This record gives sequence, C-alpha cells and structure tokens, in this order.
Amino acid sequence: MSALIKVGAIDDDRFDRSRRIGWLDMERIQSARCFVAGAGALGNEVIKNLVLSGVKSIMLVDMDYVVRSNLNRCVFFREEDASRKSMKTDIIAKRVKELNSEIRITPINSRIEEIDLGCLKDYDVVFGCFDNIGARLHLNAHAYYYGVPYIDGGTDGITGKIQVVLPPDTPCLQCATNKTHMKILEKRFSCTGADISIYEPKIPAEITTTSIIAAIQVREGLKIISGKKENCIRHVCYYNGLLNTFDSFEVSLDPMCPVHLSSYFKSF
Amino acid sequence: MPLRIKVRNAESGATVEMELEGENTIDDIIEGAAGYWEKDAGAYVLRRGRRLLRGQQTVAEAGILNNDELELIPDPEGG
Repeated sequence: MSALIKVGAIDDDRFDRSRRIGWLDMERIQSARCFVAGAGALGNEVIKNLVLSGVKSIMLVDMDYVVRSNLNRCVFFREEDASRKSMKTDIIAKRVKELNSEIRITPINSRIEEIDLGCLKDYDVVFGCFDNIGARLHLNAHAYYYGVPYIDGGTDGITGKIQVVLPPDTPCLQCATNKTHMKILEKRFSCTGADISIYEPKIPAEITTTSIIAAIQVREGLKIISGKKENCIRHVCYYNGLLNTFDSFEVSLDPMCPVHLSSYFKSF
Repeated sequence: MPLRIKVRNAESGATVEMELEGENTIDDIIEGAAGYWEKDAGAYVLRRGRRLLRGQQTVAEAGILNNDELELIPDPEGG
C-alpha cells in the first residue's frame, strides 16, 4: 500500500523548517524545561527565541516593573505597561501566548536571592539575563551546585559576552572574576551605617547588541538540549559590535573557587 | 629580574608598556592599566592568547614572559 500525503501539509507544521536543521533535536527541545532569570532586554529576547525555537515550559524570575526607558529594546513591553507599572514577568507570560498558545511560563515576581533555587534541579538549562554581577554569581553558584548548565549573557552598549558553564566539566563565572568585579559588588552593596544602599548604574543598552547576545545564549542552550554540548562556546565569548568580531577564550578552573569547593564537598 | 610586557586596550587599540616582578598579580596589571587609561569603574578581564587570566594569579603562575602582549577587555555587566 502506498503512503498518503496531503498537499500543503508541510506548511501546517509550525516547526517544519526547524526540523530541517539536522542537529536540532525538536523532540527534546519541545519537552525541555528552561529557567530564565531576568526579564529585561536580554530576558525578553531569550524568551522570544526559546518560544520560537519550540521550548514550551519556562520559569521566569524578575523583581521589576516596566518603565518607559525599557521600550527601546524589549519586544514584549508596550507603552501602557510602563504607564501601569506592570510587572515584567506578568507581561511576558501574557504576551508570549501570542507567539504560541501552548507555552507554559511560570512568572515569579521576586529577587533571585529570595527564592528557593532547589527547583533548579528540575530544569535542563538556566539562562542568566541580569544587569548586575551579584545576581549572576548567586545563580551561577546554585546552578553549578545542582549540576545544571548555566548560560550567562551580558551587554554594555555595543559590546557583549556569553559564558557557558557546564558542571562539573567547566570553570564557572566565579572562576573568571577578579578584583574589578569585587569592587563593583562592594559599590553596589555599600553599607552606610544603619542601611545598605544599593547602587544601580545606568548601563548603555540598545536592541541590536541585546538581540545578538540573547540569540547566542539560546543557540548554546539548544545545543545543550539537543545533546551537542561539545559544540558549545569554550568558555566565554566576547562580542565587539563596532568591529563585528567575536572572540572566544578559555578560563582556567580556580582551585580555590568556593563554587567548585561546595560542589566537591556535596559529593561526600 | 623584572619583566617588561605590553598591555593593549581592547576598546581603543592603544598600548602601554609595564614593568613587572614575578610576584605581581593579574589584579595588579588590570588595576594599573585601567588606571592609566582612566577607565570607568567597571569590570575588566585580561587575556593572554586565547586564555583569560585569573585575578589572584601571580605573573609567574600565569606563565607571563618578557615581551608578552596582554589585552584588557571590558566585561559587560548589563542585561
């Protein structure tokens, strides 16, 4: 008996063109669970790319509401969201349904430091889309502890970077820090006696750099989900938007890194 | 015996020569170069070839040699 085909059926499949890319494992991608921390510019782009790529289950964490200055680079935010001071995670969870009605996004309106990150062990990939080093290091440490791949993105004007952390094989974000990172942390949480004041610098940002960095974050995530870890960035990649150059560098594992030491002691 | 190296500013392409002792650290080099170019108080990393150097490592531990050229790269924090 010969097979029956329906004319035009190819165009009824949302992911037909994705399936034509040999290394993408669409079954795994569609059943993957992703954790996205930060719902700003990178977070918007990462969510958009994950959803268009076929990921259906996402947890999204952010503590902030939409402001007008977000509107130059955040695809899910609208002017009315800024007027109403709507929470970023709620808006993304709502608008993403316009891209794919089957998406399940769990929005968490909270600082990353205030939630129980034991849940990370239930996720396939963690994406860091923060605007500060403290939150990055916090999530990096927890993702490493629970053995979940962590993909961090950062931008500043027309430069950006992506770091891929694959526990227990690779160095982590903490391994790549130096005194300049610690000085920023000290400045952010400067103690003024009775209170701790939080210094939040306004970092230059625009959409083209943001979309490039977020796209690479998601591409590395899709490689991990599709079983292609060996093709991921090793270990950190810097993007220079003025010259349009990418440079990847290795980071050596710091034997005194507290993240690796705690993961080591966990094994006993 | 002191080493002489060159540090390149990834943003401008400018270079500065630096004299180092074996016990100087990567943090010292970053601080010296960022200070020389009056960089903003942001995060920076230093690379030698295809490898980023760890801040606490000494010049000797990092295997830095006379006449090496290192590059100071801004480490973007925004998101």
